[in-house]
Amino acid sequence: MTFGDFQAVKDTSFDLPKGKFLTILGPSGSGKTTLLRLIAGFEKPTVGEIFINGQPVNAVPPYKRAIGMVFQKLALFPHMTAAENVAFPLKMRRHDARNIGKQVERYLELVKLGGYGTRRIHELSGGQQQRVAIARALVFEPDLLLLDEPLAALDVKLREEMQLEFRRIQKELGVTTINVTHDQREALVVSDEIIIMNDGAIQQKAQPVRAYRAPENPFVAHFIGVTNFIEAVAVSANGSTVTLTCKGRELVGVLAAGSAGLAQAARCTCAIRAEQVRIAPSQDRLGKLETQVRGQVNDAIFEGERIVYEIKVAELGDVLMKVFDHDPVGHLQFGPGDIVHLGWNAKDLHVFAK
Amino acid sequence: MSGSRSKSVVIWAFVLAAIAMLSAPTIVVLGASFTAGNMIEFPPQGFSLKWYSAILSATDLRDAFFRSVYVAALNTIIAIPIGTLAGIALAKYKVRLENTIQVYLLLPFTIPLIGSGIGLMLVFGNAGALGQLWPVAIACCVINLPFMIWAVTASASNLSNDLELAAANCGAPPVQTFLYITLPAVLPGVITGSLLMFILGLNEFLVSLLLVDARSVTLPVQIYNSIRSIITPDLAAISVVFIVCAGVAVTLLDRLVGLDIFLKSK
Ligand SMILES: Nc1ncnc2c1ncn2[C@@H]1O[C@H](COP(=O)(O)OP(=O)(O)O)[C@@H](O)[C@H]1O
Ligand SMILES: [Mg+2]
Repeated sequence: MTFGDFQAVKDTSFDLPKGKFLTILGPSGSGKTTLLRLIAGFEKPTVGEIFINGQPVNAVPPYKRAIGMVFQKLALFPHMTAAENVAFPLKMRRHDARNIGKQVERYLELVKLGGYGTRRIHELSGGQQQRVAIARALVFEPDLLLLDEPLAALDVKLREEMQLEFRRIQKELGVTTINVTHDQREALVVSDEIIIMNDGAIQQKAQPVRAYRAPENPFVAHFIGVTNFIEAVAVSANGSTVTLTCKGRELVGVLAAGSAGLAQAARCTCAIRAEQVRIAPSQDRLGKLETQVRGQVNDAIFEGERIVYEIKVAELGDVLMKVFDHDPVGHLQFGPGDIVHLGWNAKDLHVFAK
Repeated sequence: MSGSRSKSVVIWAFVLAAIAMLSAPTIVVLGASFTAGNMIEFPPQGFSLKWYSAILSATDLRDAFFRSVYVAALNTIIAIPIGTLAGIALAKYKVRLENTIQVYLLLPFTIPLIGSGIGLMLVFGNAGALGQLWPVAIACCVINLPFMIWAVTASASNLSNDLELAAANCGAPPVQTFLYITLPAVLPGVITGSLLMFILGLNEFLVSLLLVDARSVTLPVQIYNSIRSIITPDLAAISVVFIVCAGVAVTLLDRLVGLDIFLKSK
C-alpha cells in the first residue's frame, strides 16, 4: 500500500483459518492500521488482492463487506444511545425489524451491558463504551472481526480485563478475528497466532509461545520480551548449534529458524532473554549452566514482583545485560558496584546471521 | 486582599458601563413605546399601550413586518441546503478553489454593503424582478451565507472521519451515512446558522432599501421611510416588536445549541 511515494504496507501475505484469533503486533507507524483499513475496504491496495472466504474483495465497497470493526478511537455514534448504536448495523443491513430489538438485547448481554441500552454514549464509562463498540461490531454476525488497538487508551487493570473479555467473546462466538496492538503482553495473552510487523513488512508469523521462544530475527527478539544482544563472530557450526567468539571469549548458541546457514567468520547477533540469565554472588551458585561470565552491577531496579539488574560484562566487550531476579523474597540483593556471576544455557542463546 | 478588591471594583465598573451602553438604545426605544404622549421622547410621558394598539391597525407597518418575516424565512430556507453542503464540503474535503472560497467567506467584512447592494440591484433590475420579495430574500442569502457556512464548518470539523468509516463498516452506503451520521453530527451548526440567517434577514436594511419599491418595503425600510416624515411613538412600538422577534430567535438558539459557540472560536 503506497501513499504518495511512501510504502506504508509492503509485500505482505498471510492467510487466516476460520475461527482463529490473529494478532498483528508492531510498533506504532509499522502499518498495522493501514493493513486493517485495507481489509475493511477503506483503502484500495495499490497492488495485490485480498480474499475473504475465498472471494476476491478488492472491488467490494466497505459497506458490502461482512466485516465488523472496533476502531482505535471507537467511533461510536454520539447522537445515538447504546442500543441504537448496536442496532445501526442491523438496520443498515436490512434485518427483519421485528428481530432487531431482540438481537440487540442479546449482544448487549453478551458484552455484559444488559439494561444499559437506553444510555447515551457519553453517559457510559470508557470500559462500557468499549463493550458497546464490540457489540456493534459483532451484532450482525460478521465473517471477520477487526480490532484496531481499541484497548490502548484504557488503564492497565481495565485493559487486562478487556483482553480476557475479547478472548471469551471470541471463543463463545467463534468469529475469525484480527486484532492489532503494540502491546506484546496483549498479543501473547489473547492470540492463537501472532504476526509481528515492522516498517510495513511481516517479520514473523507464529503461535505466541513460538514467537516468544523462537524469534526468527533480532527485531522480533527485541520487540517481544526483554532481550540482551551480544555481537559475535561465528567459528563453527554443528547442525543448528553454533560456536562463536566475542572478544576472544567462546559462546555457544542455537541458530534461529530464520537464518539459514552461517559462513565461517560470519558476523552474528546473539540474543538472550533477561529471565533466562541467572545471577549469583559466586560461580559455584550457578550450578551447571553452560555459559558463565563475570560482571559488575551497574543498576538495580525494583519493580515489585522482580528486580531488574543491569550488569556490565567486561569479557563480552562491556555489554550491558539486563537480568531478572525472580525470587526477591529473602534472596540476596545486589547493589551498584557489586561483582556478580551470570550464567545461561546454550539452547537459550539465539543466533541470527547478519 | 484590598488590591484584588479594587481590581474587581474596576472590572465591575467596566462591565456595568458596557452593559449600559449596549442596552441604552433598546431601553430608550422600549420606554418611548409606552408613552402616553404623541411624541417619541425619553423618559416617556406617562404610561400607555395605545401605540401598540395603534400598530395593530396600522396596516402599512404590519404588512411590512410580515414581509420582513417572509424575507427572513425564505432566505433561511434557501441557505440551509446550500450552506450545509458547502460547510461540510469545506470542512471535510480538499475542495478545489478553496482559497477563493475562503476569500468569499470574508466578504461580509470587507465589501461595503452598499457596493454589493448596488450590484444586486443591477442584476435584479436587468432581470425585471425589482419590486418583488424573493429577490430581497436571495440578496440577503447571498450576502449572509458565509455566516451559515461558518456555523456548519465549525461543527463539521469536530466530526471525526472515523465516524463515517464506522457507518460504512456497519453496512451504510454513502447516502445513508450522510443522512444518519454526518447530518445529525453537524445539526447544531445547521441550527445555529439558520437562526443566524433568520435574524440577519429580518434586520437587513441597506440591501432591502435598494431592492424594494413601494409595494414591497420591508420593516426596517418602512420605519426608515416613516422617520423621514413624522416621528410618532408607533415606530418605537413596532421596533420593540421587532426586537422581541430577534430576542426570541436568540433565546431559541441558546436553548437549542448554546450561545457559547459564538463566544469561543471553534
Ligand atoms: N493516508 C495516509 N497518507 C500518508 N501516509 C499515511 C497515511 N496513512 C498512514 N500513513 C503512514 O503509514 C505509516 C503506517 O501508518 P499506520 O498504518 O497508521 O501505522 P500503525 O497503525 O501501525 O501505527 C505511517 O508512517 C503513516 O504516517
Ligand atoms: Mg494504528
